[in-house]
Amino acid sequence: MTGNQGLVWLARRETLRVSKLWTQTVLAPVVSSLLFILVFGLSLGERIRQVSDVDYEVFIVPGLVAMAMVQAAFANNASTIFQARSDGYVNDVLSAPMHPWQVTLGYLVGGVVRALAIGVSLAVAAIVLVGVPVREPLALATAVILVVVLFSALGTVVGIYAETWDHTTFIANIVILPLAFVGGTFYTIDLLPSPWEELSHFNPVLYLVSAVRHGFLGTADVNIWLALGVTAAMTVPAYLWAQYLFTSGKRLKS
Amino acid sequence: MFRDDAPALETRGLTKRYDDGTLAVEGFDLTVPAGAFFGLLGPNGAGKTTLISAICNLIRVTAGEVLIFGEPAASLEARSWVGLAEQDINLDRFLSVRETLVYHGGYFGMPRAEAEQRADEMIDVFDLRAKERVRAPKLSGGQRRRLLLARALMHHPRLVILDEPTAGVDFELRQELWRYIRRLHDEGTTILLTTHYLEEAETLCEEIALIRDGRLIARDSAANLRENYSAATLADVYVKAMAG
Repeated sequence: MTGNQGLVWLARRETLRVSKLWTQTVLAPVVSSLLFILVFGLSLGERIRQVSDVDYEVFIVPGLVAMAMVQAAFANNASTIFQARSDGYVNDVLSAPMHPWQVTLGYLVGGVVRALAIGVSLAVAAIVLVGVPVREPLALATAVILVVVLFSALGTVVGIYAETWDHTTFIANIVILPLAFVGGTFYTIDLLPSPWEELSHFNPVLYLVSAVRHGFLGTADVNIWLALGVTAAMTVPAYLWAQYLFTSGKRLKS
Repeated sequence: MFRDDAPALETRGLTKRYDDGTLAVEGFDLTVPAGAFFGLLGPNGAGKTTLISAICNLIRVTAGEVLIFGEPAASLEARSWVGLAEQDINLDRFLSVRETLVYHGGYFGMPRAEAEQRADEMIDVFDLRAKERVRAPKLSGGQRRRLLLARALMHHPRLVILDEPTAGVDFELRQELWRYIRRLHDEGTTILLTTHYLEEAETLCEEIALIRDGRLIARDSAANLRENYSAATLADVYVKAMAG
């Protein structure tokens, strides 16, 4: 009895949930991000010709891809775990012969799969629509993995702590979304006056948007190594926090 | 490793104090022999569900030890030997009847082909064939209860824990469920049952433990309990024991 079979089935269950609700989990975020590209990129692109030597409609794509993945990974895991706790069927997993690390990883897969499905769909659409390049595929892949694991793990943590649905949506709408909007998704922070440019460096989302942007465009607000380093420095503790909650049973087992 | 000479369940000095300070069970010692049909009776809040949750790793135990066939309850092996049907219906709302069973089998280490085959068997036993593609929220109350029991039995557990399994279930279904549970018991499965239907406990259980305020107050066969309490029925025993 190793628990690996259980891990595979839990990962399957989380993926099945994403696919059963695909219009809500994948299609809706892809459509809304595409609307951003079309409305902001193509309309404002006429006025803001170029940012960092690339067309504006191309410039905003990496930030929008990152933002969509961040929101999807977080929302997926926060909701799947909160629902499982609220309905009590998390007990079926907690009583199963699986190690805590297998449960953490199994739940994480859903957020990762959903975020990747959205990210890949958006990237393909953006390549076709506005010709966005992929100049540093390795950096892009590393950045995307770190970002989706970070926000899937944070979603897991919030799903475990939340006492109502409002708690999960509060974090998504009041913390993550505003930080994403002021994290260089739609602009380069070089354009900001002091002290806003300096203050932007305290926004963690700036680093992950920069890492993804560097992967697509080969250039970003922050050096790629610093961007990946800061993103990894957030991902590791977030994952360990989720792992700690499953190991200790805190908030999951009374 | 599974040892059939070890008791199916053994708790030693089990204590659980919840975060709000409630002491649900204290120094609870209980041994349930392998192959027994064992009843656990007590009023609401007596500690029955806490005890069951401790056995199934669903609470953080404050002190003491729980062994399943000689293995610590937290070990993966011990967990694979226990099947639990909780009092509250807690079915995964995103899964159909078949998926509920197959995924549960998977969580408990069954390969897909075996899980599919066993799910078919359980679907027929619990008369859920017509609903196998239907999601849990669309089932009737009785069908959900049947699915909950089928899920608990899916992975061939050696110790089956049934927490109020017939609450809200009609007479006909109750009879069917007991026929099946009796058959399981005849095949050597240990059954731990909590119920508020005392006549049910009297008919089915070889031994009954009465618990109150997190403590074991009596434990014997129904006949001996009646004799010890000078009572005509188990209901009278229950009333006397809980009043004392």
